[in-house]
Amino acid sequence: MTDAVRAAIDTDVCIGSGYCEATAPDLFEVTEAGTSRVLVDVVPPERVEAARQAAADCPTRALQLET
Amino acid sequence: MLTTGPDVDSIDLSDMAFWALPPEQREAAFAALRRDRPFSFYAEPVMPFIEPGPGYYAVVRHADVEAISSQPKLFCSGRGATSVPDLPPELVEFYGSMISMDDPRHAKIRRIVSKAFTPKMLEALVSSVETIFDAVLADARAVAEAGDGTFDLVRHISAPLPLKVICQMMGIPEADYDLVLEKSNLILSGGDPEYIPDENEALALILDAGQKLAELMQRLAAERLETPTDDLTSALVHTEVDGETLSHQEIASFFILLCVAGNETTRTAMSHGVYALHQFPDQKQRWIADGSLSKTAIEEIVRWASPVIWMRRTATQDVQLAGRDFKQGDKFLLFYNSANRDESVFADPFTFDIGRNPNPHYGFGAPGPHFCLGAHLARRELDVAFRKLLQQMPDLEVVGEPDRLQSSFVNGIKRLPVRLTGAS
Repeated sequence: MTDAVRAAIDTDVCIGSGYCEATAPDLFEVTEAGTSRVLVDVVPPERVEAARQAAADCPTRALQLET
Repeated sequence: MLTTGPDVDSIDLSDMAFWALPPEQREAAFAALRRDRPFSFYAEPVMPFIEPGPGYYAVVRHADVEAISSQPKLFCSGRGATSVPDLPPELVEFYGSMISMDDPRHAKIRRIVSKAFTPKMLEALVSSVETIFDAVLADARAVAEAGDGTFDLVRHISAPLPLKVICQMMGIPEADYDLVLEKSNLILSGGDPEYIPDENEALALILDAGQKLAELMQRLAAERLETPTDDLTSALVHTEVDGETLSHQEIASFFILLCVAGNETTRTAMSHGVYALHQFPDQKQRWIADGSLSKTAIEEIVRWASPVIWMRRTATQDVQLAGRDFKQGDKFLLFYNSANRDESVFADPFTFDIGRNPNPHYGFGAPGPHFCLGAHLARRELDVAFRKLLQQMPDLEVVGEPDRLQSSFVNGIKRLPVRLTGAS
């Protein structure tokens, strides 16, 4: 069983492309500042796969996951 | 098909004649470079009135394109991303947009506009893309029916859709659409004699085209500052980041970027897509039979078309890459078309496969801060376009060879003759 993970956005490199929000709108959103933010304290096990996909899709690799 | 390539010494990517070769010969040349000379060095192309620089390396392998693109501190865009020579100062005013900027300035502007291009924000746009494209298809059908059934796909289908979508997003008055099309064609003509008959006039013509688009945009920006609507221009003139708004000149150069980057590219992808479905009729039947393939099919069309052939980066310091030493100031052209045919990444890269998955193509650029802003928009446009084309014009048939743009920068198709056969 997959463990829960923490997600973090590096706002220095995030360009607000919206891939994370499109893949997992329950976990990420693009804010008014034009960068993404994480909406949850921890990504629950059943959403880890979606978070991984979002991290893989990110064109600036701004989304990091820590177990 | 590509087992015997040309001698790498005979390849000159700076020679305009190379870009007039049939696509198969160009593909064979890039395959040879990938195999034998992944960092081939070329003298800069000769351009009137522009002092040629020291030359550039042609980066042709998927992994090397990615390595450079994803390290913007080592390989910058600020010395020019869309031209081999550094931009002459008189062009910087209109063409010095964020595509040729580095962070932090780039990031700041990018974040102001990025919000308008996220998938979530574009959801509202889909129904208007559908409405626009229904009208485009009806017009094309009328042209076909008024004659012998033939028409030019580029003029009547591929060009109008992205043009109208972008103009509508920005709030451009309909009376100015033709001006936008004409000037963006000219800017991206790549010196094709059809658009710039006398190369000595190229700089003046391109400068004038930028001026005209900038005037149009500055007028609109002033209007929207006064009376905002729900268009992107209104959002741009009123958005603040770190307490700063974009100047009207910045908005104008962003608009020029949007015009040229958002028109010609999607148009090129659509035209190549239709031609590919003609060359690979089994893939057309497969898509018609299974609409759920659209997602992978569109990625494959973008890989196949590689609408933008290269972007430039410049080394900011002495740097080692793929075991080789490069000097500060060295220029690199990232050939996305070649990365998208890299045999070490794509199985059967010369096969058009609408189910290809994974498909890590660089048709929208490689990872990094300059990754295509309009990628989501382009996907939506292509999704609507091909869904409706396959539904409403299943009898559309390509009846001639594509007339290709002679350019090293945009893999454009100027004309593609098609016909509605009337068969269902």
